[in-house]
Amino acid sequence: MAYATLAALILATFLPFAAFLLIMIFTRTKPALSARLSVGAIAVSFVCSVLLLTQNWTAPGPVEYSTQFLASSGLNIQFGFLADQLGLLMLTIVATISLLVQIYSLGYMAGDPGFSRYYAFMSLFAWAMLSLSVSRSLLQIYIFWELVGLSSYLLIGFWYEKFSASQAGKKAFVMTRAGDVAFFLGLFVVLLNAGNLGVLELNGPAARGMPHEILTLSALLIFGGIVGKSAQFPLMTWLPDAMEGPTPVSALLHSATMVAAGVFLFARLFPFFSLSPRAMGIFLAIGTISMLLASTMAMVSRDIKRVWAYSTISQLGFMIMALAAGGYFAGVFHLTTHAGFKALLFLCSGVFIHHLETNDIYDLGRLGSRRFKIPTISIVIAAAALSGIPPLSGYFSKESIITALAGLSNPLWLLAGFVGVFLTAYYSFRVMFVMFFPKEIEPEKVHAQEPYDAGYRAMAGPLIVLAAATVLLGFFEAPLKNFLAGIIVIDLQAPEHDWSHIAALVLALCGIALAWFEFGRRGAEQVGFIDKIPPLYHLFAERWYLDHAYRLFVDLVIDRGISWLLWQNDNKVIDGTIDELAGGTVEGGRISAFLQTVMIQYRLLAIFAVLVFLAFYFFFQKI
Amino acid sequence: MIVPLSHALILAAILFGLGVFCAVARRNLIMIVLGIEIMLNSASIAFVAAALRWQNLEGQTFVLFILAVAATEVSVGLAIIVYAFKRTGSFDPGNYSMLK
Amino acid sequence: MHMEPANLPYLSAILATTVAGLIAIMLIPAEKKELIRRVSAIFSGITLVISLLLFFSYDRSMGGFQFVEDFSWIPSLGIRYTNGVDGFSLPNLLLTGIVFFTGVLTMWEMETRVKEFYALYFLLVTGVFGLFMSLDLFFIFVWYDVSLFPMYLLIAVWGTTRKEYGAMKLTLYLLAGSALILPAVIFLYFKSGTGSFGFVALMQSGMSGTIAPWEQKFAFILLFLGFGILAGVWPFHTWSPVGHAAAPHAVSMVHAGVLMKIGAFGVLRVAIMLCPVGWSYWAPLMAVLAAIGIIYGAFVGLRQTDLKYVIGYSSVSHMGVVGLGLSTMSIEGLNGAVFQMFAHGIMTALLFSSIGYIYDRTHTKMVPELGGLSRVMPVASTFFILAALASMGIPGLANFWGELVVFIAAFRTYPTLGVIAVLALVVTALFMLRVVQHTFYGPVNEKFSHLQDVSFFLGIPRMILAAVLVIVGLYPSILFDVIHTASAPFINGLPK
Repeated sequence: MAYATLAALILATFLPFAAFLLIMIFTRTKPALSARLSVGAIAVSFVCSVLLLTQNWTAPGPVEYSTQFLASSGLNIQFGFLADQLGLLMLTIVATISLLVQIYSLGYMAGDPGFSRYYAFMSLFAWAMLSLSVSRSLLQIYIFWELVGLSSYLLIGFWYEKFSASQAGKKAFVMTRAGDVAFFLGLFVVLLNAGNLGVLELNGPAARGMPHEILTLSALLIFGGIVGKSAQFPLMTWLPDAMEGPTPVSALLHSATMVAAGVFLFARLFPFFSLSPRAMGIFLAIGTISMLLASTMAMVSRDIKRVWAYSTISQLGFMIMALAAGGYFAGVFHLTTHAGFKALLFLCSGVFIHHLETNDIYDLGRLGSRRFKIPTISIVIAAAALSGIPPLSGYFSKESIITALAGLSNPLWLLAGFVGVFLTAYYSFRVMFVMFFPKEIEPEKVHAQEPYDAGYRAMAGPLIVLAAATVLLGFFEAPLKNFLAGIIVIDLQAPEHDWSHIAALVLALCGIALAWFEFGRRGAEQVGFIDKIPPLYHLFAERWYLDHAYRLFVDLVIDRGISWLLWQNDNKVIDGTIDELAGGTVEGGRISAFLQTVMIQYRLLAIFAVLVFLAFYFFFQKI
Repeated sequence: MIVPLSHALILAAILFGLGVFCAVARRNLIMIVLGIEIMLNSASIAFVAAALRWQNLEGQTFVLFILAVAATEVSVGLAIIVYAFKRTGSFDPGNYSMLK
Repeated sequence: MHMEPANLPYLSAILATTVAGLIAIMLIPAEKKELIRRVSAIFSGITLVISLLLFFSYDRSMGGFQFVEDFSWIPSLGIRYTNGVDGFSLPNLLLTGIVFFTGVLTMWEMETRVKEFYALYFLLVTGVFGLFMSLDLFFIFVWYDVSLFPMYLLIAVWGTTRKEYGAMKLTLYLLAGSALILPAVIFLYFKSGTGSFGFVALMQSGMSGTIAPWEQKFAFILLFLGFGILAGVWPFHTWSPVGHAAAPHAVSMVHAGVLMKIGAFGVLRVAIMLCPVGWSYWAPLMAVLAAIGIIYGAFVGLRQTDLKYVIGYSSVSHMGVVGLGLSTMSIEGLNGAVFQMFAHGIMTALLFSSIGYIYDRTHTKMVPELGGLSRVMPVASTFFILAALASMGIPGLANFWGELVVFIAAFRTYPTLGVIAVLALVVTALFMLRVVQHTFYGPVNEKFSHLQDVSFFLGIPRMILAAVLVIVGLYPSILFDVIHTASAPFINGLPK
């Protein structure tokens, strides 16, 4: 039994890596074979993870396997698997979404010159994220964390011939790296003070012995990594640019992998973070700020992928708020449901973008996006779930977040949550109305048939599965709660706040109504209220000028500041000194060379004069 | 002893002075080499005289060495002078500034 | 210190092979270029095989110096021809074998003065091999100079950018280092009172305190600066990027991959192991210089537009990590430092080897003139990108482990410097990704669109290096196990 579990874990995590290596080394020139390898590997991972989840559905505690890996480096760090409830849940989510996205990509990426490379990177991505979910120690999490960052760099910049794509990949990597450095430092602080990096140990006794200031410091540093990966304030600007990658990549990136890793880590170390209320307060504030800022940005964007990207930041902000408010289950549950409907949103948008070749929502509407039946229905379901409309999955998870926020003493957070709910509903249905109730239509486009080729079917299949999941997942709230209660017992007896549930639902409906009034009703101008206030519009559209600030910072402080100064120092001061020294030596040589040449006879005379002088000197000294 | 040591030494000193003057004052390389030869020979005279005075053969041995060295030195020196003359067309060391 | 004599003179066999290769190359007429290349490949291949054999047959449970050969050479001065390897020198020996062999293959397409090039290259590597295996200070000094002298000619004759300046600067810097080392060696020789240049005897007098504390401090700083110049310690680093950029590809590989390691290895073997008291006295200075080097190299690298200069400054930064590890006075620090030497050697060798291929095709190594190479030569680009990722410290590639272990050790001993060093990771990532972006991504430059991708044969050296990076990255214990056999007894045996 135990061996079977271990074998399943190894299979689930390492098969995609094997696929990655095989594709990179052997099958780069054979796209069909590469795709089969990759999809086959992730399918086996999916089966294994589902088996693991069902096998352990009633298991009492975490299962842990570890082995000494770096014994002789002088560090005593355990590596291995930690298969507890959270890890297995995450493993299943990742495997499911990866599998669906890879199947979808068979249609979306068909004919791309980098098809094999695409599947290789997808497998690398899956490997890193699957292994991260069942990692045993923080160091191991950090390793896969970096690999997740690397694979998203490679995938975001997949179409590297576009300057903007490679730029976006670089930006994503460097910005998350900045967060990762904080995480890395946090690791050191924890290691030196707790003497251990095991997740269970940190959540258990090892962290209790740490001084309080150190605990807060390490919690904040590790949270830095979460801020980077989950694109929270102030490191949020890389995520919208990450849209430059192929759309399936965005779907994966935004639902189950890259950005989810941050929230997953928060949940992973939830008991550890809970030890420091001060740090939790800061996390709550950061989550709230990110949530609100991103919502405002989503309200004015015309690029469909960007809207969903902002909404991802905002929903991640919700999750972090929930976790920081002590709502462990709420955060994890929202992570689960969000993975489903956000993947669905992106995959549906991908169908439109693939066939209509534009990202602009107004153009999509004009070109008749309505005629694609399956994606249209799916995206509306997903948008409704995002807005929190019952009985979809998003409704249930959002309700539990609101409950967690309502449990706080300060009502400000709950208020912010309400504003977030309203804005979410507004911006998601703004997109829906603009896309499906366009002002003018190009008729010949609209009456074209929905294409039913193999590629379209490969893309439609995952949409149906995800739509079904979005509809059904909400009803699994109670079993999931019981399942996760194995680790954390905090929010099982959360107080009931019926009025807040109703208020949230009403606000969501108000948001939809406003969107309908401005964009949906017959004869609507399709101009939002924000667009009518230019300063606000510019502020939101320019993403609160955060990007400008970063660009200025990198340009002025790093490139033209420190880097220039040090380069001048290298060139002028250090090399200057050395070259002057060398030049001086040569100059000195030249002067003495002047004495050595030409006046040979004067030197002879000088020699004789000195000799005579010395002779006299010694002669008279004797006497 | 027929000639006293002091006479021999005075002769050597005079010859040496002449050699110095020749080496320092003349502008012709050949004359400079000649001057050096004269100085060497004056030293040889001093050695011979001293060997006779103290009945010690080492002085004479030295003279043989000096003769050998002087011969090689003259041959090498003259070869260089000939070569330098071919290169510059001049015997004046003041014109040899190519090493500068 | 435990010394295990060898049944067969493996170490001398390496030296004999390189010398035999040198003689063989000298005997072949200069026109038979293909024959010269093949002979070079065969002889360097033999050294690689021997060093691999040594690496895997070294007895890890016993530790200490193994495969020891000991012959008297000049008895009146106590100079002996003593060779032996321990956990510190073994990875470096293997590194030299790998870089040597792949360097020969990298230069396969060169056509100018092939004979002279390979002859000098063999001479250079003979010195490097000798230095890593020698256990006699006199010989260490001699090997140091043997490896310096061919560098000048190799750069000045076969080099590219500002080659005379680069060659002269490099030679003068390294001779200055050697001028600091020689007096220190002689000083230790006299002060130890053993009348021997033997490493083990001197180490015992250093450990037992026969060499007084002030003497150790004095000798240490001379040795540290002398070898440190070669290791690219800030602020004595400026010769290295210039030299990297000027040198032909294989020489850049040996230069960054192995020669800079000689410096770090010299600091470890001679300065640290012979003068432990001096080490503990000067360690904070070492740490400060190393930390400055790490962040400084990264920032200056940001401004470079010449590919080789970029790598040159990243080397300054990475060698700073080695220096930081050496300054921590802990087992982890030494383990990480030696590991990082190996990893950095392989990584830069791969970078320079890839740049070599690109430069031979495009005839430029200026980043703004390149672009879109990933489309034109995907395989060649993949090798470079892989090495660039290693240099950013991506887990799964060798450099990550070295940096991780060094940073943890540094964080324990010098928390502030540790933080500064870790921050450099962001800057390194920024400039490496910039270079990758502007060289390999973006639209294809019309001038280069007809170029061929790397063929299987020419890819072999890069494949070897890439494979080593990945294997060591996935299974770092392969190196740590060996290094640990040297670092643990040394640190535990330090005088309190």
